[in-house]
Amino acid sequence: MRYNRRDRGTGLLAALAMLMLACAMLVPTIALALTTNKATARPNENGGSGVIGGLNTRLTWEGTVEEGEEVSSVTLTLPDDGTFDGSSTKITVLEGLSRAAVEGEAVASGSQLNVTFSQPITEGLLLRLEVEGMKFPSEGGDVVVSGTYVNQGGEQQLADSKPITTIANTPLQAMVATLDEAPWVQIWNSNPFLGMFFKPQLLVTAFATLVPGWLLCLLIVVVAYPFAILLGLIFALMKISKNRLLRLIAIVYVNVLRGTPLFLQIYIMFFGLPMMNINIDNNVLGVIVIAINASAYLAEIFRAGIQSIPQGQYEAASSLGMSYFQTMFNLVLPQTIRRVIPTVTSDFITSYKDTSLLSSVGVMELMMFAKNLTSVSGNMTPYVAAAIFYLIVTLPLIKAVGYVEERIAHSERGGGPRPKGKTAKNEAADAEVKLSELAVHAEALDDEHAFVPALTPSFASEV
Amino acid sequence: MSTLSRRQFVQFGSLAAAGLLAGCGSSAGSGSGDAADAGEYTLVEEGKLTCISNLFFPPFESMNEITGEPEGFDIDVSKSLAEHMGLEVNWLPSQDFDTLVPTIKNGGKADIAIAGMTITDARQAEVDMSDPYVDSNQSIVVKAGSSETADTLNDASKKVAVQGGTTGASWADENLPNATKKRLSTVIDAMSGVQSGLYDAVVCDLPVSRYQIKKSFSDLEIIEEIPTGEQYGIAISKDNPGLTAAINAALAEMVEDGSMAAIEAEWFGAEL
Repeated sequence: MRYNRRDRGTGLLAALAMLMLACAMLVPTIALALTTNKATARPNENGGSGVIGGLNTRLTWEGTVEEGEEVSSVTLTLPDDGTFDGSSTKITVLEGLSRAAVEGEAVASGSQLNVTFSQPITEGLLLRLEVEGMKFPSEGGDVVVSGTYVNQGGEQQLADSKPITTIANTPLQAMVATLDEAPWVQIWNSNPFLGMFFKPQLLVTAFATLVPGWLLCLLIVVVAYPFAILLGLIFALMKISKNRLLRLIAIVYVNVLRGTPLFLQIYIMFFGLPMMNINIDNNVLGVIVIAINASAYLAEIFRAGIQSIPQGQYEAASSLGMSYFQTMFNLVLPQTIRRVIPTVTSDFITSYKDTSLLSSVGVMELMMFAKNLTSVSGNMTPYVAAAIFYLIVTLPLIKAVGYVEERIAHSERGGGPRPKGKTAKNEAADAEVKLSELAVHAEALDDEHAFVPALTPSFASEV
Repeated sequence: MSTLSRRQFVQFGSLAAAGLLAGCGSSAGSGSGDAADAGEYTLVEEGKLTCISNLFFPPFESMNEITGEPEGFDIDVSKSLAEHMGLEVNWLPSQDFDTLVPTIKNGGKADIAIAGMTITDARQAEVDMSDPYVDSNQSIVVKAGSSETADTLNDASKKVAVQGGTTGASWADENLPNATKKRLSTVIDAMSGVQSGLYDAVVCDLPVSRYQIKKSFSDLEIIEEIPTGEQYGIAISKDNPGLTAAINAALAEMVEDGSMAAIEAEWFGAEL
């Protein structure tokens, strides 16, 4: 390597700076008998991870007593209008991992908290103070906890803690605070049932914080569904094909996926694939699992739909010289699509609800957010909020299914649009058709798939 | 198929109804044991101490691999407690950890939750906690040979699994604020996830991680033992102060007569 003068100059400078830094770091450590290990705060933002100033939270402060030292009292100080008033302090002294029998008394006065110990804390012991119910300065910002301690040599300054990032109050939090104060909320919550399932403060928080989870649920199912439809169609065609091998593959695929719980499939995919060193993003994997699972159900729906087209139509098609694919794509599938729309929509609703199972493997969907909020608050309200989010999507869809079913029934019964100026003769014929179609639909109404065994005897023996 | 005659059926029905009624009526505790004089209390089912827990937390509570019966340190403590109180012990099926405190608070289903549950102010605001019966700490567990430390884990790209509602979860929230936290139902799910590479680390109670690594997750390791000095207590409804007093009295007796030490020796040996 070749050095020029400039390189040597910067090298020297860097060495000098390092030396100074080392000195600066060494000086305070030597002087201190009680080393500040850390100061952290419990997040107190409802449904979030922020530490909000001016609201009750818990400060955890840890320090270690250095060699040959004894500490008899510690005072912690907060900047600005941070306050320890109304707090309760848990004092834990640890030797390694076991608790040492040291008691103490904590006195809070404004921004200072004084803790005196029944006996001095000796060298090597870890002091842990958990101050519940204290407040950080309300304007937010980086908060440094400072303070003093008393050892054999009198009162000394504590090293400042690493700054704790706090934020000023959020509009949502302010709204929750208003609700906390409102008398009707207190009366409402005093009823155990209403307080546990419909706590207004938590409903507000949950509606605000569950949105990302809800959107992810929708995204997963909306992305997964086109793939599911495509896969389902392929397997449906395989299942009715004349090739024995294709039929076998389709039967195994559909039966295994329909015959095992989705929960199990999720576990196998999420825990199994990474073990085979296949690492896929969790959300993508979620889409894949939902798509594969739904495809098995859709395959059955499509197969039933295709086989519900009367044999006569195939015969008519072949008499016109249409090939298999022409028959399928120009004649059978268009009619099938119309017939299966309601059932497919129902299946879509099921898949949408099934995304909730992904919460068990850490996909941040709706249930996961609700679970988080419940585990923090110990209240069931977030689940009720999640239920409402599911209903926002499912209720309109259920309504739509009902409408489409009605329309299809209406048109298949012969009530659909028709050319104008029909004769009395036509009407009489229509009435006849109506009667016979009605009988078929009465059967179909009993069960979504009731028409399947009637049309395909083979189905019954297979399942 | 049915071999019940009509008369037998009627008898069976009325028996079941009587059982139901007895279950509904809150029966005054009439424990005949030594600890019974600690006060009057009500039990969900007369003569029985009904316990709930999350049964995926070995060595404190788990289900026997073969019989499916609950077993573990806490189960033995509950049996000994019941014995000292002159009651029978009745374990309900496992439920998620974060639902235990609400269940006890609402009452009517179980008398106590004994689930390796740290005594915290937040929990004490909801339910009564008994005197501490065991000490615990936290730990960070990663895949063996991983270069992660508590510092490198504090990054948005790192997935840290925790059990929902636990002190491990709040430790992670507070000390690893930047990491992506994954709240799961059980510690077993969390550890399997780290094993398969789904998550980067687990934060959970140290006795549990030690036991699990020794028994079943030999390819995981503890990178940090976090001294928190937390203590486990038993959760009891605030409406049942007599039961809290009776449990505390029974716990004190267990320490005195050595039954607690015997249970500790059985489950932790020299480790604790």
